[in-house]
Amino acid sequence: MTEHLLLGLQAAADTTRAYGEFPLIGARAAVWIAAEVHLMFAAFVLGVPMFAVVAEAIGIFGKDQRYDRLAKEFTRLLLVAYSATAIWGAVLVFFLATLYPKFWAYLTAVFGPSMWAYAGLFFCESFTLYLYYYGWDRWKYGRPKLGHWSLGLLLNLWGTIVMFIANSWLTYMMTPPRDITPTTDPATIKLWHAIANATWMPINVHRLIANVVFGGAIVAAYASYRFLAAKTDEERAHYDWMGYVGNFIAISALIVLPFAGYWLGREIYQYDQSMGITMMGGFMSWLWVIQAFLIAVLFLTGNYYLWIGMGRIPGAERFRPYTKYLLIVLVLGAIVWGTPHTMIADSKELAAMGGSHHPFLGALGVMSAKNTAVNLMILTTFLSFLLYRRANTRPVVPWAKSGTMIQGAMFALAAGVVLFYGIRGYFVEAIVRIGFSVYQVLAVLGCIVAVTVIDVLMGRGAQSLGAIQWGKMPPRSQYALFILAVTFTWLMGLMGFARSGIRQYWHVWQVVQDTSKYAATPALGYASKMISLCVLIFLTLVGFVFWLGGLAEKSTFVATGDREGGGGGRHVGH
Amino acid sequence: MTAAPAVRRYAAHPFWQAVGILVLAYIVVVWVVPLLPGSAIVPKSVVLQYMVTVLVGLLIYVSDNEERWARFKEPIEAVLVEPRLRVARAALLVVVTVLVGLIAYGQVATTVAAPPNLRSIHPAPPTEITFRGKSITLTGLENPLRAHPESLPLYLAEGKGVYYRNCLPCHGDHLDGQGHFASGFNPLPANFQDNGTIAQLTESFVFWRVAKGGPGLPREGTPWNSAMPQWEDFLTEREIWSVILFLYDQTGWKPRRWETEPGKGESGKGKGDD
Amino acid sequence: MWATNLKVVAIVLGTLALYTLIANKIPQVESEVPQTLTLGANVTPEQLVAAGEKVFNGIGGCTTCHGLGTRAPNLLTDEKGTGAIGVRCGKREAGKTCKQYLYESLDQPTAYIVAGYQPIMPVMTKQLSPQQVWAVIAFLESQGGTVDVSASDIPATSPTSPTSAGGAGGAGGAAFAGGSTDPKAIIQAAGCLACHKLDGQGQVIAPDLTHVGSRRSAESIRRKILDPASSTAKGYERLAGIMPKAFGTMMNAAQLEALVQYLAAHK
Repeated sequence: MTEHLLLGLQAAADTTRAYGEFPLIGARAAVWIAAEVHLMFAAFVLGVPMFAVVAEAIGIFGKDQRYDRLAKEFTRLLLVAYSATAIWGAVLVFFLATLYPKFWAYLTAVFGPSMWAYAGLFFCESFTLYLYYYGWDRWKYGRPKLGHWSLGLLLNLWGTIVMFIANSWLTYMMTPPRDITPTTDPATIKLWHAIANATWMPINVHRLIANVVFGGAIVAAYASYRFLAAKTDEERAHYDWMGYVGNFIAISALIVLPFAGYWLGREIYQYDQSMGITMMGGFMSWLWVIQAFLIAVLFLTGNYYLWIGMGRIPGAERFRPYTKYLLIVLVLGAIVWGTPHTMIADSKELAAMGGSHHPFLGALGVMSAKNTAVNLMILTTFLSFLLYRRANTRPVVPWAKSGTMIQGAMFALAAGVVLFYGIRGYFVEAIVRIGFSVYQVLAVLGCIVAVTVIDVLMGRGAQSLGAIQWGKMPPRSQYALFILAVTFTWLMGLMGFARSGIRQYWHVWQVVQDTSKYAATPALGYASKMISLCVLIFLTLVGFVFWLGGLAEKSTFVATGDREGGGGGRHVGH
Repeated sequence: MTAAPAVRRYAAHPFWQAVGILVLAYIVVVWVVPLLPGSAIVPKSVVLQYMVTVLVGLLIYVSDNEERWARFKEPIEAVLVEPRLRVARAALLVVVTVLVGLIAYGQVATTVAAPPNLRSIHPAPPTEITFRGKSITLTGLENPLRAHPESLPLYLAEGKGVYYRNCLPCHGDHLDGQGHFASGFNPLPANFQDNGTIAQLTESFVFWRVAKGGPGLPREGTPWNSAMPQWEDFLTEREIWSVILFLYDQTGWKPRRWETEPGKGESGKGKGDD
Repeated sequence: MWATNLKVVAIVLGTLALYTLIANKIPQVESEVPQTLTLGANVTPEQLVAAGEKVFNGIGGCTTCHGLGTRAPNLLTDEKGTGAIGVRCGKREAGKTCKQYLYESLDQPTAYIVAGYQPIMPVMTKQLSPQQVWAVIAFLESQGGTVDVSASDIPATSPTSPTSAGGAGGAGGAAFAGGSTDPKAIIQAAGCLACHKLDGQGQVIAPDLTHVGSRRSAESIRRKILDPASSTAKGYERLAGIMPKAFGTMMNAAQLEALVQYLAAHK
């Protein structure tokens, strides 16, 4: 009993003044909100410069002023979101220092110098951004324009380094190097050793891509709002196009994201299998069913937007009859993808099923089925996009017919490979089956790349069936973009919970234990309320910030003729 | 008007198409799927999930095209405004109200049914367990008996003896979970022949499950009404390892390996407890 | 414009509400901090009650049904005017004391069904360790009754924590001194004093055990006996590996525990 008592005293000593308390919502919720909202702003602020620079490059090298205007409009959104990022970052730091002082002291002991570097780089990033935005019109043509563009590159460079540094802190919390134990003096841990931990690079890559997805989705939502608020056809056309571009960026980056996620999951498993099982099969297993639901929403809504968009493309009527088959594949895919392996059932149903696995549908709940479903959904989405792209053109190259047939064969081949390995996966041992998902993915990626190349070659000098009538979109397509943005944001919160939650009751996995009263990892219901709250805060602030941006200056959209500066100024009124 | 053209007219109308597909989907999920060989009733939660997915798909179908969307809305608008459909309107109003009331009642009415539960069949193993007071680190642990390949036949014979003395009554002669007592248990004893049990697991995981049995599992593994005893009270460490050896040898499965473990799911697209 | 704004807000809120609803509709599982339950021989009723309350509200999952008063009888406040469980537990079944009744209801939940309820309770002795079960009983008794659970109720086969049910002798292995739990008899039979010194007796080949309790915790002593290679006292590295490894398989759990507690008390 004395031993027990001593342990108790030790725990009490550990806890005293290790944790602060936050009124009403509690310390954990306070840090949760600060971190999540900061992260959302940060993701936006890091993602948007990437495609702003790309858009500017298209403007410069493709001599298309439209893209240059678009890039500037992106950057303007960036400028106003930037200070919000910094504010929430400061809130997070203050919350950590006051609510988790002991743990914060530990982190600073390990990561101190990298935090100074972080502050310095943040400074550089801010001023590069100011220069980039305010220098836009000054260095508009010729050589200075290239200089301006390289400022954009520099901005991305700073941002990426800043993110990599911050990522090292949180990945250290998940996967500290194996030689670090609870008794290791934090001051003796080599900085680089702590930074280069097992999940650092996977998280870096995953977040880099996810930021592009997120930035695209938020930009699309912004554009859709401006579209709905627009009063002239020209303005509508501009924002329709901007929304389309944002959505295109988001969806295409989303297709690559699972592979980065795969790498991350793999690293987590290799680092600590029990952490991996907690994530995929343990108390978080239902999180993936929710995630599946959200991803199904993304796929369906993304395709929906494209299909409605065909309404504004002359020539798209040719492809309309086929969209319903694509829809059938997507719905069936969503059904398989969402079928849980362990089902929620009451006692009578459990008795009838002989357990919580359905004897028949249970076969749809395993990895093989799900990988097959999601790969087919990716292929279908790609096909949708291809039809969209092809809609108002008729290829004139002599090999157009055989080219189309080769493309069709590639789709069939990729789908065949996916189905073959999906079915075969039921008959082999786990370790082999895991390898199969790589083949499925490679087949899909290979098909996407090859078909795109053929399509680009085939599209050369294609006969146009009429220009896309930008702006001729029903409002419900724009609401779809809102659903996409909300879903992306929510998904980000959910994945953040998964990443952070698998640490369970550890600040630093098996090194620094969480001895606060919030040590238990909350259930999904509580987490979902927190996520919704964070998303709401973020969207409200972002909406406000964008509104401010519109208030302060005129839209970069310059209407020709009399309705000069229609976009921005008009927002004062509503 | 004859019946056939009327039917054809309805079948071509997006609204009635949608209703028809919805009803058809319900029939398939609730009545056809259980009729399939080896199938069983579909839990209500899954039925709901499937129906919502189908409904969303239908809404997308009817609204991704201006003309179809307009036609889809016709009957709805007609019911809402047209004077000749006053009866239908009133009926709809009553039906919707009653339906909402019934659902609300069903949600709040007290019942004595056991709450539906989530149980993860393979909960996350601890990194370390205490086996008869001795700490055993599970992470990276291999079956120590495999380190002596020359004695494997001996260990297998020993494991076989352990299995037939202790495990047979529940897990059965064929290691398929169909022992004499099996039908008395819920959940059923594990079927080692199935590719979802030991074929998915490392030997250290199996060791943990044999040694600790049903009691004391983490929350996510409950309600673990499993009758599996804590075998550490009855078997030695070596006996457990040898019976594990026997299980894999007899079923032909290979234990999951550590080194090449690439994660059974992908965080982006993977899921759950397969 | 206001209509559009409202629609946008409604769509955003609706989407958020839908996701939140789905996540809340599924059964909720928290990942708790594992509690090691150490109930020694001299555990007090207060400690048992406190431990039992944690199990009741946490890992036991009791509140899923018993807290609400709809699926199962209310245990903590009042059930149809009969008071809390501690008040009524002795009167439920004729000839059964409160403790016996509560143990039965955890071990064979269907043996006695309170009128008006269904037999839906899982067998808790399959889910919880004996310590946890007895702690819960103590907690339930404390709800309006007197706690008469003591350490003697808890089976000695699993002496420490739920994750460390101790060594109940190897298969067929005979226990020292006919299974006696007198530590002196065990020390005598095991021949500890052939190497160790204790209270002035024995040899000095291995560390003196007279003050071993001040150097090692009970857990550490237990480990050293079960796995002598796990640690070596300072200055005796030369002799590492001499201590026989089989002691753990030659004692039953109660003996081991008695020995460990005896040595740990040597401060």
